[in-house]
Amino acid sequence: MFKIPAIFFLISFFIYPQSDSINFHSPGNKKLFADYLFCEGDYLRAVGEYKAIRDVIKNDTVDYKIILCYSYLNIPELLNNARMNENFNKKSPFKYDIEYAFVKNDFINSSLIFYKNYTVDSVSFPVNSIYYRSFIKLRMCSYLFYDRIPIPQKDFLLPFDDFEKEKISSFYDWIKAPPYKSTAIAGILSAVVPGSGKMYVGEWGDGVTAFIVTGLLAFLAYDNFRAGHNTRAWIFTGLGAFFYAGNIYGSVASAQIFNARIDFEFEEGLNLFLQQKNYFMPEYDFCN
Amino acid sequence: MISAIRMIYKATLFLIVAMNLHAQVTFNEQFNYSKKLYDEERYFDAVTEFKRLSFFDKADRFAFEVNKYLGLCYKQGAKFSDAIFHFTMAERNAITVDDVFNTKIEIIKVNILRRSTGRALVLLDSLYYDIRFKEKKDDVSYWRGWAYIFADDWENASLSFESVSPDHKLKAFADSIKNEFYNVNLATVLSVFIPGAGQFYTGEYISGLISLGWNMLWGYLTISAFVDDRVFDGFMIGSLLWWRFYTGNLQNAEKFAVEKNLNITNDALRYLKNDYSGLKP
Repeated sequence: MFKIPAIFFLISFFIYPQSDSINFHSPGNKKLFADYLFCEGDYLRAVGEYKAIRDVIKNDTVDYKIILCYSYLNIPELLNNARMNENFNKKSPFKYDIEYAFVKNDFINSSLIFYKNYTVDSVSFPVNSIYYRSFIKLRMCSYLFYDRIPIPQKDFLLPFDDFEKEKISSFYDWIKAPPYKSTAIAGILSAVVPGSGKMYVGEWGDGVTAFIVTGLLAFLAYDNFRAGHNTRAWIFTGLGAFFYAGNIYGSVASAQIFNARIDFEFEEGLNLFLQQKNYFMPEYDFCN
Repeated sequence: MISAIRMIYKATLFLIVAMNLHAQVTFNEQFNYSKKLYDEERYFDAVTEFKRLSFFDKADRFAFEVNKYLGLCYKQGAKFSDAIFHFTMAERNAITVDDVFNTKIEIIKVNILRRSTGRALVLLDSLYYDIRFKEKKDDVSYWRGWAYIFADDWENASLSFESVSPDHKLKAFADSIKNEFYNVNLATVLSVFIPGAGQFYTGEYISGLISLGWNMLWGYLTISAFVDDRVFDGFMIGSLLWWRFYTGNLQNAEKFAVEKNLNITNDALRYLKNDYSGLKP
């Protein structure tokens, strides 16, 4: 006769604490908290929570979110470490997403290694899948980093969506005909008319200054020779020759710097485009 | 039949006891645990646990405390924007006027630390003229003094601390720093009249002597060239050498004064950080 009251008594203990207590660290609650951190963008804490429950809750989404967290944290070593040490479910619905995250990481790590090593046989994405198409896009973009595009523009643009084509096309055109300044022309121009090489590179202020200084020294040298002040004339001749040669050298260097700068700006633009596209990685909305 | 019922009864009892034994933690315990992590200066873990508490605290009973500590943790990690966000959330959830005042002061302190002095001063003004805090004007003036210290404005810092108390320790300190400063304009003007004098004023005697020597040499050669009617030589030496060393002397004097003042400021801030025992941002 005491059995029923005993159960009720114990149940009351069980129910009462719910009003003010909770198991903050139960796997379910940890997952809820991790999802909240993930959506808040606190990926470092989210990955800690997901990893803590990974062995308890066998969940493919959790596995994928761990990879996503590493990916968003943008620390390639973490993803490399995960690829080496973590076992992911081969039958996971996210298996291609996880593989693409690793591919993307390799691209970020070194686009040169990606360019040299990755072919369509390096990945297991089914042909015609979104992953395969994204991979082909990434592969095309890797050509842009090394200015050897073995494909005509029409074929190059084929895998890209219409709204991406304009931008990609401009990158392609840049690679085929980069707006470099010729170092030889800059040097020759400055040899003929001092300062004109600098003007050709776009450094108008330096060009005009070089023209005036070299011209002034040449005039002083000529004037002193004419007046018979030979010592002074030779000093100005030496100075003029020094400025003349320096201006030619400076024009060539300016053209090189100009070319390096536009190379840098091109790579920055391409990287920014890829970051905005998240390297064509298929995405899920886990937070809404 | 009876043994089956007994089995079910035992299983139910075991289940209920087991569930009761599960690691249930009260919100207070979680808060204390988080606070302990904060006290142990384990700020990353403290943020995680405070966030956990905040996430499960659907009734927002701990919203003020949790956000306050999250702000403090982020402040310790120099994540000032996050700190201000959480202090603002704490302020919204504050119940007493004191709590509102204290969280506003925390926001001001973060602004002082990240040297957004203008924002700190605006917030201090709003506190100063808020009738709810009319008893706390001294506190406002105290933090205004700190805002000026971080803005390297020791004159106003001194005035602010003076309004708290004429013999305030920090007023005397601000005055002493103010008096230690070199006058940058004076250093430059001295060098205008006597090359190297500005460097002497800032204590850079060797540099002052070198500057004086160069200017005397090129000045002498320039003047003697003009005296000998060698006008072209005079122009060349005067413009390419004397003028170059003369302007260099002025720039040098100004640079030394600025550098010395920067060192004085840094030493003062270092002293305040390490040795001053009063309230600090």
